[in-house]
Amino acid sequence: MAATKNTRAIENADLVRNAESRRSKVLAQTLAKVQEGIALDDAAGNIRVFGPWARELHYVNQHIAVPQVEVDKAAEAYNDVANHLVKKLKWPNEAIKVLPQGSTSTQTLIRSPGNDKFDIDAVCQVDISRISAQDPMRFFKTIGDALTEYSATAKKRCWRLPFNGERFYLEFTPSVPLEKASSQDLDTMAPLYRPDQEYIGTALAVVDTPTEKWKTSNPAGFTKWVDDTSKRKLIRELIAEAADSMGKSASNVSPVPDQDVNISDTLRVAIRLFKRHRDMCARRSLIGKEFQPISIIIVTLLTQCYAGLHDLGRSYSHPVQLLVELAELIRDMVPEVDGEFRVDNPTVPGENFAERWNSDAGQRQTTFRTWCDILAADMRTILAAQNEQEIRSRVRDVFGCPPDSSRPNGSGGSGGTKTAHRPPPPAPITSGLA
Amino acid sequence: MGLDLSRLEKEFDWLNTAPNSRDQGATGYRIRLPEFPAGREFAWAELLLPRGFPDQATARIMLSQDAVLHIPHVEDSGAICIDGDPGPGRGYSAEDRIRLLLFAYKERFLDPWLSGQMDADFEEEPLNYWLIKVERHRSTHDPVRILWCVDKPPGHPTLREGLLLLPSRIVIAAGANEPITNRLVSSLGIMGAQRIRVRLADIPIEHPFTPFTWPRSASDIDRLINGRLGKMDRIEFQRPIRDRRRRVHRVVLLRNDKCRFAYLLPDGPATVIDNGTCRRAYPSQTIPLPLQVERVDPSWTVGRDQHQEVSHRQKQHVLVLGAGALGSVVVDHLAKAGVGFITLVDADILATANIGRHLLGVESVEKSKAEAVAQRINLAYPATVVTPEKISAERWLQKNSLTKVDLILDLTGEPKVRWHVNCARQEHCCPLLIGWMEPFVAAAHVCLLAFGTLWMTGTTDRMGELEAVTWPPDVIRQEPGCSSKFQSYTAAAAAFAVALVAENALKLIDGCVHASCVRSWVRGQRFLDANWQGLKLNKWAHEAAPYDGIVLERPFT
Repeated sequence: MAATKNTRAIENADLVRNAESRRSKVLAQTLAKVQEGIALDDAAGNIRVFGPWARELHYVNQHIAVPQVEVDKAAEAYNDVANHLVKKLKWPNEAIKVLPQGSTSTQTLIRSPGNDKFDIDAVCQVDISRISAQDPMRFFKTIGDALTEYSATAKKRCWRLPFNGERFYLEFTPSVPLEKASSQDLDTMAPLYRPDQEYIGTALAVVDTPTEKWKTSNPAGFTKWVDDTSKRKLIRELIAEAADSMGKSASNVSPVPDQDVNISDTLRVAIRLFKRHRDMCARRSLIGKEFQPISIIIVTLLTQCYAGLHDLGRSYSHPVQLLVELAELIRDMVPEVDGEFRVDNPTVPGENFAERWNSDAGQRQTTFRTWCDILAADMRTILAAQNEQEIRSRVRDVFGCPPDSSRPNGSGGSGGTKTAHRPPPPAPITSGLA
Repeated sequence: MGLDLSRLEKEFDWLNTAPNSRDQGATGYRIRLPEFPAGREFAWAELLLPRGFPDQATARIMLSQDAVLHIPHVEDSGAICIDGDPGPGRGYSAEDRIRLLLFAYKERFLDPWLSGQMDADFEEEPLNYWLIKVERHRSTHDPVRILWCVDKPPGHPTLREGLLLLPSRIVIAAGANEPITNRLVSSLGIMGAQRIRVRLADIPIEHPFTPFTWPRSASDIDRLINGRLGKMDRIEFQRPIRDRRRRVHRVVLLRNDKCRFAYLLPDGPATVIDNGTCRRAYPSQTIPLPLQVERVDPSWTVGRDQHQEVSHRQKQHVLVLGAGALGSVVVDHLAKAGVGFITLVDADILATANIGRHLLGVESVEKSKAEAVAQRINLAYPATVVTPEKISAERWLQKNSLTKVDLILDLTGEPKVRWHVNCARQEHCCPLLIGWMEPFVAAAHVCLLAFGTLWMTGTTDRMGELEAVTWPPDVIRQEPGCSSKFQSYTAAAAAFAVALVAENALKLIDGCVHASCVRSWVRGQRFLDANWQGLKLNKWAHEAAPYDGIVLERPFT
């Protein structure tokens, strides 16, 4: 008889307990030095002590945000493509729905160091009961064909639209809401995993092109999970600032969420800062890009850790304290069950985000550990800074942020040139090869 | 300096026109600086008018040294690298040239810097900034001066050996047993007389390093090694190569297809360099030494990464018969094009009469042409191995088969050789190029014979019928006191023939010739008349008559 896999979900609290039992505590000790003499319940004292770090981390959090003008541009393109699909496919208008997914929807979209493009992930939901597209590959191709004008290229589960000349590209994932599928269709589609009952309403089947089969996915459920978790209160005495309102959009197209996140939204800040830290580690070649931890794993582990800490009744005096806790615990949040590393998708039981960790001779797991160690060491360096200037310089160095900038005032700050006569520019010169 | 800048001071109120004397007769004018946001400061800026401005020199903006490697587009000297002053001879007054420079400084440098628009610009020219860093750390008594890469970056971090060559202080990033290492060592001659094995961590990188991201200390490099090398490799990297020597030079090479960076790690052994001022180099005990890295791999030296065909050429073996005025220079071109292996066959000795149109010069007179050409090319081009054979082509063909030959070039012009090649190809067929020139290089021909096409099917040699001119017998002159015949032509005229042969040989090597044909470079009537009265082009070549020269192609059946 073949051995059956133990796919039982592990409680977040158990994951945290396990991580706590293995933590090195060096970072916690450094933190304790910073807090020396301040009572845990002294809100004002904690805000004062952690203020310089909070200000700098907030600066980083703002710096890594994709500028709103670029998000707006991408959102415009996203809406155009959505409307184009509605027209082109000639399926009933109400049968197609386009929603943001991935970091865009979890408000954890960050810009890459340098001038690399950022991606806007969208999921294109098609009500299978209203069209005849049971064959996954034909369904996938139909959407791709409708995107030819955008030079779409097929990826594993989505179509990438390059938008040459722009700072972003779009990734559209064709999908079918499982809720809308009849039980007969559901069996025919035979998704690899069944959705978790808690998130059944938003579960989708997407096309896994390598296997040419349907695969269960739940980006909206995942977003909801992150969102719900982030609202659980772990910080004493601090009130999170109200989130900015969402923008407007057509009824069948969900808007791209604003990417501005306040430091009091500690879970999202942790996700954004840690993703940035991973990107900087790859830039500095401290970890190999090929095996670096993927964003979905970082988001899942941090959210599980956050939820587990809450389940265990932990509380913190300041977001910086919680960030440090998350930085130290994340390293040991990946359990090894029956000899396999597991990072469970909370919305699709049985799906393991760390599947590839188990077939790469330990490369991804080692790289993950290396990154976590560097993260903890960097946090320690930051916490050990003695004054505001040192804190600023260390934080910005670690997260790869340039100095403050000023808006150009037309004089470069050096004075005016308005009266200066401007000679015509020189004619171009053609060089010969020699 | 007879320039009056008072008008400019009114237009640019941040320019102080009080002159300051600078090195080498230059004059500097201070620029008032804005209030900087924290972290964007530099100490001073100056308009510099060098001696000779405006007639012989170009004005520049100089910044204080704290701007170097802190702000993009600032050179090692502190000069801002922007196109400001168009320079002399472009129709601008000196005053307008300074205006253009000041506008450029403000609009294309200062404003973008203050507003953060230039922050990612270090990534545009990362190696320029790396060289500035290298120069700043360099001293005459460093144990290593430069590192040469001989291959493509590895797919994953790799521990390997390198070879430090003294007294040149070059590290070759390949083991002593690799053929290219030996070729480079031979090329360097006395400059590579002493060889020391070094440890080398060869680590691929995804992004270029910039002053913000490159490792700045030994602990930064340790962190990088810990992150990228496996545990066993890390242990091995620390170990000496030979038991008797406790210390070993360790080099970290970080590279991708576009960029290369390297460090010599601290705590290496003392190294004899004896450069006139210093006998021994003692590496730093604590500070890693940034190193300049150059590529000498074929993809770069041959084609600057723009010719994918180089990797195929590297595996090809070309047999070249004849190392004369045509063969010697064609072999040189094949080597420059990345052909991996060439066997060069010629029994002749270089004579003084040859040197006006041969690859070799007087230093090789009385030497075997094949051996001297091979030596010269083997020393010059590490991507190619030329094996000389100082015997006649006929003899070589009798002693060897063509089984390991990918292409034959018959550049002897000799009927006997053509006959022997014909026989050898009947035994084992491979593509053949026969190349020759007519007197004065009035025409040159390449006959490209694909697999299965023979030069002679009976006993008739077809060279005569392929020629562009029917030559009167007195054009070929008898050398006094010698039985050999010659006809004087210039190396410049022969360069056309060389190009025709070399280009078509490469087409054959690259698999771009699908049908046998003859391609001919034919000069026009004016060229013929200038060299010999009464010469006429044969009928097939009439088309060339009105031109200086054209290339004509005919099928070979």
